[in-house]
Amino acid sequence: MNRASFLAELRMGLSGLPAQEKEETIADYDAHFSEGLAAGRSEAAIAAALGDPARLAKELRAEAGFRRWESERSAGSIVGAVIALLGLATLDLIFLVPFVCVMAAILIALFASAVALAFAGGAVWLLAIFPGMMVAGPTGMLGSVAALWLAGLGLIAAAIGLGALAWLLMDIVVRGLVNYARLHFRLLDSAQHNEDKE
Amino acid sequence: MSESLQVQLKKGVLEMCVLALLSKGDNYAYDIAARMAEAVGMGEGTIYPLMRRMQNEDLVSTYLQESASGPPRKYYKLTKAGAAALKSQRAEWDAFEIAVAKIMGDAS
Repeated sequence: MNRASFLAELRMGLSGLPAQEKEETIADYDAHFSEGLAAGRSEAAIAAALGDPARLAKELRAEAGFRRWESERSAGSIVGAVIALLGLATLDLIFLVPFVCVMAAILIALFASAVALAFAGGAVWLLAIFPGMMVAGPTGMLGSVAALWLAGLGLIAAAIGLGALAWLLMDIVVRGLVNYARLHFRLLDSAQHNEDKE
Repeated sequence: MSESLQVQLKKGVLEMCVLALLSKGDNYAYDIAARMAEAVGMGEGTIYPLMRRMQNEDLVSTYLQESASGPPRKYYKLTKAGAAALKSQRAEWDAFEIAVAKIMGDAS
């Protein structure tokens, strides 16, 4: 593999990253080739010492995904972070897949409960605004309009609390995954890989 | 030493080694990679994800400096947070090393 094919493969692996970050990363590796050539090494030797560009790209993308999650905390960035995490070929999938599935199920259940509570609160408020809707039921059962307002408020407050709890839990889970991945899969794997090939 | 133990150990101390290298003076990635590859056998290419993360965590900062040969080089410099991280990691490492040496000494 020479300089051009290494950089081309790296570029391909980095597609999907923000343009600036991608160009900076490629410039880093391009400069590495310049330095190596100036030091009298061949392009093939430099490429071999750098490791597999596709693997490096996966690692760089995973790192970028984690950073996006840490700085943005959006629904899009969590999906990106988890996909990048799963993209690391060396991940211990036997551990990770059930864990991610269980956590995702818990989080979805929490968020769904929060949404349901919010709707229930809204419905109770509707009753407070339009008491006429209650005609079908036994009158007087739900007490005064003020009580309805309070009940609705309680339900919505519970929804917000549950939503916040779920969000917090999600943050903890993603951070845990990121730390796990960094500890276990950072670096050296490609050095290992090279040793295997030699 | 089994290969997996060696890999685990290296992973744990790589960041500390890079911090220690930079504490002796600013440096550019090619030289850091060459030194680390020689010393602990890490793949040269993996220095870049590590440097990127350390930069993102404000452990290092970068600046460009003209080089005698070719285009300007990107130099990495230890930040205050980086120096503090090195200090605490070194203390942990020293304590660990002493504990291991003691057990190994008792066992031999």
